[in-house]
Amino acid sequence: MSDETHSARSPLPVASLDDPQLQIAARFPRRTENIIALNFLLGLLCVGAFGAAFWQNWAPWILGLTFGAGTFFLGFGLIAWGKYLMPQGPFVEERHVLASTEAERDSMAAAVLQRGTVVVRRRKLLGGLLAGGLGIFGIVAAFPLIRSLGPLPKTTLTKTNWRRGSLVVDANGRPVRRDELQPGGLLTVFPAGYETNEETQAVDQTVLIRAQTGDLVTEPGRGSWAPDGYVAYSKVCTHLGCPVGLYEEQLKLLVCPCHQSIFNILDGAVPKFGPAPRPLPQLPLYFDDSGYLRAQRGYDQPIGPGFWERS
Amino acid sequence: MTPTALRRPRTKREATAALGPYGRLGKAIGELDDRLGIAKGGRTFLDKIFPDHWSFMLGEIALYSFVILMVTGVYLTLYYVPSTAEVIYHGVYAPLRGQRVTEAYATTVNISFAVRGGLLMRQMHHWSADVFLGAIVIHMARIFFTGAFRKPRELNWTIGLTLLLLSLANGFIGYSLPDDLISGTGIRILYSIILSIPLLGSYLAFFIFGGPYPGNEIIPRLFIIHVLVLPAILAALIGGHLFLLVRQKHTQFPGKGKTEHNVVGSPMFPTFIAKTTGFFFMVTSVTALLGGLAQINPIWQFGQYRPAKISYAVQPDWYMGWLDGVLRIMPSWEFTGFGHTIPFEVFLPAVVFPGIIFTLCFGWPAIERLFTKDNEIHHLLDRPRDRPKRTAAGAAVAALLFTTFGASATDVLANFFHVSLNAVLWSFRVLVIVVPILVGVITWKICLELQHGGPDLGKRKRAMVVTRTAAGEYRAVPSEIRPGDEHRELEPVPVPALIDLDDGSLEVTAGNTRPDAEGVRRVIR
Amino acid sequence: MTRARQLRALLPAALLVAVGIGGLLSLASDAAAASSSGLSSLNGAGTEGTAHSPVAPVQPPNTGTSNSSVKVYKHGRLVAYGNQAIRYSYPPTSYVPAGQALYEEFCSSCHGTEAAGSTRAPNLVGLGPATIDFWVTTGRMPAENQNAVEAPRKPAKLSDLQALEIAAFVNSLDPSEPAIPTVNTKGADLAVGAELFALNCAACHTITGAGDELAYSTSAPSLRAATPTQAAEAIRTGPANMPRFTGNLTDAQVRDVVAYVTEEIQHQSNPGGLALGGVGPVAEGFVALLFGVGGLALVGFWIGDRS
Repeated sequence: MSDETHSARSPLPVASLDDPQLQIAARFPRRTENIIALNFLLGLLCVGAFGAAFWQNWAPWILGLTFGAGTFFLGFGLIAWGKYLMPQGPFVEERHVLASTEAERDSMAAAVLQRGTVVVRRRKLLGGLLAGGLGIFGIVAAFPLIRSLGPLPKTTLTKTNWRRGSLVVDANGRPVRRDELQPGGLLTVFPAGYETNEETQAVDQTVLIRAQTGDLVTEPGRGSWAPDGYVAYSKVCTHLGCPVGLYEEQLKLLVCPCHQSIFNILDGAVPKFGPAPRPLPQLPLYFDDSGYLRAQRGYDQPIGPGFWERS
Repeated sequence: MTPTALRRPRTKREATAALGPYGRLGKAIGELDDRLGIAKGGRTFLDKIFPDHWSFMLGEIALYSFVILMVTGVYLTLYYVPSTAEVIYHGVYAPLRGQRVTEAYATTVNISFAVRGGLLMRQMHHWSADVFLGAIVIHMARIFFTGAFRKPRELNWTIGLTLLLLSLANGFIGYSLPDDLISGTGIRILYSIILSIPLLGSYLAFFIFGGPYPGNEIIPRLFIIHVLVLPAILAALIGGHLFLLVRQKHTQFPGKGKTEHNVVGSPMFPTFIAKTTGFFFMVTSVTALLGGLAQINPIWQFGQYRPAKISYAVQPDWYMGWLDGVLRIMPSWEFTGFGHTIPFEVFLPAVVFPGIIFTLCFGWPAIERLFTKDNEIHHLLDRPRDRPKRTAAGAAVAALLFTTFGASATDVLANFFHVSLNAVLWSFRVLVIVVPILVGVITWKICLELQHGGPDLGKRKRAMVVTRTAAGEYRAVPSEIRPGDEHRELEPVPVPALIDLDDGSLEVTAGNTRPDAEGVRRVIR
Repeated sequence: MTRARQLRALLPAALLVAVGIGGLLSLASDAAAASSSGLSSLNGAGTEGTAHSPVAPVQPPNTGTSNSSVKVYKHGRLVAYGNQAIRYSYPPTSYVPAGQALYEEFCSSCHGTEAAGSTRAPNLVGLGPATIDFWVTTGRMPAENQNAVEAPRKPAKLSDLQALEIAAFVNSLDPSEPAIPTVNTKGADLAVGAELFALNCAACHTITGAGDELAYSTSAPSLRAATPTQAAEAIRTGPANMPRFTGNLTDAQVRDVVAYVTEEIQHQSNPGGLALGGVGPVAEGFVALLFGVGGLALVGFWIGDRS
């Protein structure tokens, strides 16, 4: 790069200080210089103040203000120096053709092709073996590398820890009695024994709402699923898996706080609005003989967002 | 080597003279050049011309933000621990005391409260990332609308786009590292997006996350990607970006003395170096002021990420907003059949849509060539109005992205204007189609209207002074050239190799009291 | 190699194995302890449908007077109940006449003279004085626009005393819970409050308590103006679309949440500078683009030429 540009510029012109292109933009250089000097001085003071503030461990806003002001004054002064007190040109630089000559191109092509022919075409077997070997090496090296990155999904995405008879508990492990919630009450629940494990919480989390006082039938065939108005849905949005924790009591709507999918809890959480494609799966509930809420069984389908293996 | 150099100098004057006409600097350059051969290329480098137009400064904002990101980032790595091991928080922030939190979260809170200057550094890092991506985008817009991507610069356009893509990724990853409630929700969404990819989704997700999310593998993985892998690639690509810039030289707008065969502007030394260093200070200043005065991402308020916890009004950082917006307004088109599910309502907006946008951008130089059949080398820039189709297309895509970005704030907009959220969502579903078309057509029309510009192309406009003569006649005369613009009227000249400094200041240091044959003291400016 | 040397060489390995077995044993005993300690054993696959009564819950459910440690009676009438965390008190019956007058002036046109509600407004009987007190002291009632979907918070039209008087009157029609809570935030655990807030409140009110627009023209109000009593009333009564938290939160937990709201959320120290409305990345992005990129582009505009 440097060679061609430099050699092409000779003979070098010699400038006199009186050349119009060497003049500065400032009309009152003395005054401009003073202003810049003042800026540099202020900049140094502020940076010094920043040092003191850092030493004293003062509040972030003091640190930011002193540092920001210091660099501002220094920058302002420096730019003004360049803009007003330095030759303004305009200066010009010749642009040179990047492309080489035809002969040079041919020479390179010839080198690659001819030497390549000598090496490869006459030793096809070697070339093929090397290429094949490298390819196999690549695959063999890549496979364990990728495979070791994580476990196979298997059934992880389709299973929760809700089972027949799972005791319904809140995040503190407290079971839910019949009179625990009044109509309009809301609780995030888990199967007992899994309430503190973050990894299982992610799939088990279920939103329990007491919608009314009598049994609630959300959909045909779900007659016994919501005893005494206690209805439970997976808290994992079927869109992107955010916790559907936003419940509007009078509207009886669950709203996903992330992308505003809206589910009606009275009719099986069929999405009414927004991007969610499927209803939130409903967890069938019952009260055991001691009056504690339990799950009749697990969810009848994988919870959460869709994926290829989900049927 | 003159004989004077061989004998020991007796006086100070002699010693100075022995150093040659350029004193110690000349000597130092000589020593360096003996070993590295820097003088010839160095001089060329000092003479390198940078165009003066202000729009050429936009890329520098990105460059300097990257420097700030590196410096503040190193500071943060000194205190951040990328681990999801659980600890009990015992720091200074009362509402967290006694809570079970991950080390990643605890150390980030500690950076904010307990590390000297830590909060400033954290906030500067975050603001700087936001500014970095913004600067990349407007720099890219400038390149696009002026046609600077055309031959021979397609490769640099590609590198720039790759930089944008990787910076987006790194921004998102960095945002995720504190393991707070908002960012954890973001990773959960990313996990679901990867799951949505047909055939491979669940395997990809499990390999990337090391199992299901939340898990213990992902934070350390994101950390090493964020602080080592991507920054190294970014730094290398920035190096390549700048190397190509120097190799191919700058483009320039047409104007007085500017041709396809030259570059007009200011030399690297001293004018440009002063301005650009000053600009670096300015970027630092703005970042520091934002970092000190405006709070960003107060993770201590958000708390530790827990799968069952959620906050309303969660958005990603602005540069991911366009994707979040499309996710919000996408209808629920899930495909189920043949024992499989394809969540198109996620896959289309979050994977296919950005894929299309980036493919369009990467392919644009080729696409344009397909239509224009233009295979010439271009160094002079287009005025956007002179390429109405390109400008309209770019404006339409920008409008599309801007609208989807707006859609990511549906809740905030609904709250601000007190309208129903549903109405806002539906409006965006319509707007996202209507606005780009409208913007495209209007831009195209405006370009056509503006095209027939006057002959003063590339000159700063002058005011017209209207005077009334004694006879009552009105006359319009262009006003005087503004003082700062005088040099614009001059013919550009090559950077002088030598300047005749006749102030006598060199007599002592240089030691050659007599001018040489041409009557000029040879001095590096 | 002699036998002794062989043994010596095996020693470290043997030690390792021993340590490993010990670790496994201790893990197993932990697991056993955990399973014998209570709830987790209930979840075995075979326990469903069995008639075993569950072991005692970790914390007893806490609803209204049922677990109040203090109950205060006056003339045979319950005037206050509660515990160290929250004291619920009924407005004195002497307020009833004044309350009736106020009720007829401001409320009866919509809620009916018997407070049983109408097609335009809901029933008020049997909701407890806390409900009335909340709606009136937050200025939501009397409503400005009776046809609006929601009655937003506004400067209260009636005084706190007048609110109590109306509450006393409505309560006299059918005395019920909850009474008006007074929260003692002294012993509050902010960390518990923060946890519960993130789990139960942030989904609507946002994690910074800024509030936001929800679905179908409803909204979650900002929590910046709520008094401790109002916050507790809202939690216990679930005004409008808010779910009500009764048995699922103990009084102590309500106190913790209230303390977190009134001491932390309302007094965010914001050490990082301006809070930008507490609405997160939208405002932050706006500032970054406008002041950051925009400001710097202006500087660039100054540095460069404009021709």
